[in-house]
Amino acid sequence: MSDVAHDTPVAHHDDHESTGIGNRKLGMWVFLSSEFMFFGALIANYLLYSNRGGFAGTYPAEIYDIPFTSVSSFVLLMSSLTMVLAHNALSNGDQNGARTWLFATAALGAVFLGGQVFEFTEFITQYGMTLSTNPAASAFYLLTGFHGTHVAVGVIMLLSLWGISRRTGGLSEKHGMSLELVGLYWHFVDIIWIVIFTVVYLLSVPPT
Amino acid sequence: MTAEHEAHPSPAQYWKIAALLAILTAFEVALYYIDQALGLGTLNALMLISLALLKFVIVVGWYMHLRFENAIPSRFFTAGAILAVALYLVVLSALGAVVIRG
Repeated sequence: MSDVAHDTPVAHHDDHESTGIGNRKLGMWVFLSSEFMFFGALIANYLLYSNRGGFAGTYPAEIYDIPFTSVSSFVLLMSSLTMVLAHNALSNGDQNGARTWLFATAALGAVFLGGQVFEFTEFITQYGMTLSTNPAASAFYLLTGFHGTHVAVGVIMLLSLWGISRRTGGLSEKHGMSLELVGLYWHFVDIIWIVIFTVVYLLSVPPT
Repeated sequence: MTAEHEAHPSPAQYWKIAALLAILTAFEVALYYIDQALGLGTLNALMLISLALLKFVIVVGWYMHLRFENAIPSRFFTAGAILAVALYLVVLSALGAVVIRG
């Protein structure tokens, strides 16, 4: 590791075991790996009911606003860029840059969440599609709602790091590792949305 | 410096990766509308899934730096993804509910 890396907060000095990777970081990777099962169940549940006919009420695939969701997807995708730029800035000892990019990531996450709230509100008020309208609607709200909850948790963690950085004048090495872990979580939330956007929004068809 | 950290992309490369992701997303949306107009069917589904997979790999590899990590997190992550996809494909197939446009 270079001198620069030794002097900067993101120096990957987590407790290394025989695995060659810090315990906290390995724990995060294992946690994210388990999250595939969680979201896999929700996506499978949606696929099971989304095109199954015979239920009353509006089906999600009948009312998707693809242009709107495309913009939301783009916003979340770009938040992965700002997240990695925050990590890069901290690696280079640029505390101000890291703080700025952290805030930008949280802001983009909040915009995505705002979009989801707007989408849900439209679906409920304009089309009367609620959580209990039919199994397809339930599966849709369950999947996208849990994803949104993950985004909200990510935004809270990002804002916490941003607040710590502001209060203390910069992130310490310990918090640098926290930033890296939050970054992994954030990118994971992004890749899950990549799958949801394609499978749920672009490929889904209502029953004929 | 370990090879892991030497290999991390520069900010300029991160911006280029973001541009590529944006282009791929635009292409996905375009495909959706092309399919609406022309009815590409299974071909559309295959292309959309391939594009999503490509975006997935790019984010995991470059933004999550998995391609620069040692083998252990890579194995955990890949195994988790493959196991989940395999399990739920079996479940959906068993229930006759694999939904692909076309």
